[in-house]
Amino acid sequence: MIASSLLSLRSGHYSIRIHLASLLTIGLLLTALMGVIFFALTTGSEAIPLHSVLAYLHLETPNTSTTNLSHLLILDAFRAPRIALAVCCGAMLACSGAVMQSLTRNGLADPSILGVREGAALCVVALILTAPGLSLAWRPLVGMIGGLASGVFVLLLARGSSSIRFVMIGISLSWFLSAAMMVLLAATDTKDLQTVLIWIAGSLQGATWQSVQLVAILFAICLIALLFNAPSADIEALGDALSTSLGVRRKWVNIIRFSVAIFLVAGSVSVAGSIGFVGLIAPHLARFLPNYSSRYHLISTSLIGAILVLAADTLGRAAFAPVELPTGVVIAVIGAPTLIILLWTRRNQL
Amino acid sequence: MSRSLLSRASNTQPWSNRSRLGFMLVLVIALSGLHLLHGARAISLTTLTQALFYYNPHDFDHRVLISLRLPRVLAMLLAGSCLAIAGYLLQVTLRNRLSDPQLLGLNSGASLAVVLVTAFPIAPMFTLVRPLVASVGAGLLFSLVLLISSAGRKGLQPLKLIFCGIAFSALAGAITSTVLILDEDTLDQLRFWLIGDGAGSNLHSVLISLPFAGAGLALSLLIMPQLSAMSLGDAMAKGLGASIQKVRFFSLCAAALLTGSAVSVVGPIGFIGLICASLWRGIHSRPSVFSLLLVAFTGAALLMAADIAAISLFAPKELPTGALTGLVGAPVFLWIFVRRMR
Repeated sequence: MIASSLLSLRSGHYSIRIHLASLLTIGLLLTALMGVIFFALTTGSEAIPLHSVLAYLHLETPNTSTTNLSHLLILDAFRAPRIALAVCCGAMLACSGAVMQSLTRNGLADPSILGVREGAALCVVALILTAPGLSLAWRPLVGMIGGLASGVFVLLLARGSSSIRFVMIGISLSWFLSAAMMVLLAATDTKDLQTVLIWIAGSLQGATWQSVQLVAILFAICLIALLFNAPSADIEALGDALSTSLGVRRKWVNIIRFSVAIFLVAGSVSVAGSIGFVGLIAPHLARFLPNYSSRYHLISTSLIGAILVLAADTLGRAAFAPVELPTGVVIAVIGAPTLIILLWTRRNQL
Repeated sequence: MSRSLLSRASNTQPWSNRSRLGFMLVLVIALSGLHLLHGARAISLTTLTQALFYYNPHDFDHRVLISLRLPRVLAMLLAGSCLAIAGYLLQVTLRNRLSDPQLLGLNSGASLAVVLVTAFPIAPMFTLVRPLVASVGAGLLFSLVLLISSAGRKGLQPLKLIFCGIAFSALAGAITSTVLILDEDTLDQLRFWLIGDGAGSNLHSVLISLPFAGAGLALSLLIMPQLSAMSLGDAMAKGLGASIQKVRFFSLCAAALLTGSAVSVVGPIGFIGLICASLWRGIHSRPSVFSLLLVAFTGAALLMAADIAAISLFAPKELPTGALTGLVGAPVFLWIFVRRMR
């Protein structure tokens, strides 16, 4: 039945198989994301009419009599970079959550529970505090080192990734690191503290085109690596023995996927601060939709993550305007009940 | 019942019960004295004894001691012992050594309740019943955690319990921060308190919490014989005449009361219960009045030491006390878990 809806395209030695239902799902998700983006562009403390937005996007020739120039400025300087950053970060966090869950074979694995996010955050805070003048591009790099260090630490201590031990060690490491973060913040000067506090709250407020560029490049590289690896990951799901006999180099596939997942989290954390729960919810939501293989699953997961973060950010911006709720808080209000529902559905397996 | 268990325990331990208890008591007193004398302004021991017995309101040192440092020391004593007893009760009742008021959501439930009632005042007498409000919040959120984590075929599993604690704490924390961001007055009132910092404690809040903490302590002392019977197994406890459901319920009530009164004084501080009970061998297998007191003294000493460290590590800057207990507590959690898995 699944095979019947598959479409094969061949040209010489190359062929690609397309699963129509999955493709349709991705198309629908993309449309939904576009809708949310337009909604986010128009709403805010200054309501901007749709024709200005269209003019900004060069989809409509600007009419000088009706288009307000300050609207275009607001869009270009504040709203558009913020939205782009929200989309990127959401997709990155969701992607890394999906990879973590398939690697650990644990549906409750999330970068924020495994200490990776805290490790990256701690290193970035240390960087901001010790060298506040350093270029923005250093932050993801340093965050990656921190995230990788804590991920490897948990992996080595747990001697493997598919056990309760792994999760428990990750949880306690994340507690330790967040306590260390509190100590670090309390021990430093108040002058730099303001920058750090805004960043920690998981806010997309300070988005610039520069940070969007940085994160988008990182995301593109990581996504390509993951999509390239995805068929091997599909086979790996069949079990260790079977996948080895089918010729999957499990060690290398796992190392690449694990480090790419950490890079994604670190990149997102380094520009947008701590936004939790996206990596946990988005893969589960994507599982409700038709996904032929983990390639499609990865793409729809990142789209759902992007929609989630952007919707949460817009909600936080618009719901109680002029007061702004940090995105991390809005996501947690949605995400924590989802985690509870997940725990309830897994009550017999845990 | 508890007496016979106590005497049996003393035969197998290198230290006698009385000497362990005495040692902890001396340690608590010594650390409290150190806390009083130590600080931004060094004060001599003779001044301390003078201030305690011949208080002179015109002496600056005396005023620093009595109106600034003494309330903080009392708050730490109260909160440390309350959190330790609450953690111990949870560990014994749930038969799970990884239990702690912070990890199982009691702390965040208490904070949420206090923040909600401060933001939407329903009773004018609020400051007088703040510990009660905190206790009710702790109890409610913890019952939710228990409800979800004890569902399923295998019953209460450590991993499930921890995950439920994390999920509900995150939910309560997110609601708490939403309320605080939207309502600046509440944030101003509760700013110091919420970080888990002793700097905001005053004598008034300690005195208000005292009756609630006393009620929690009395309740836990009352059910101690039944709890120690339960440590022999549910069937044996039933045979000895203990009503298991009732004992569990009262034990959780006592834990909620103790946590609530501690949180309403010093804010959410975690891991005290976890660390204290892991320091002494054999107190889980034979719960008794003695082990309760031992844990309480250990908790007071531990929180006092953490507070002294918080003041002095980066002086003149002060660290939040809760961060220091977390720094020690997280590795202790890991250590307990890894040892149990073996």
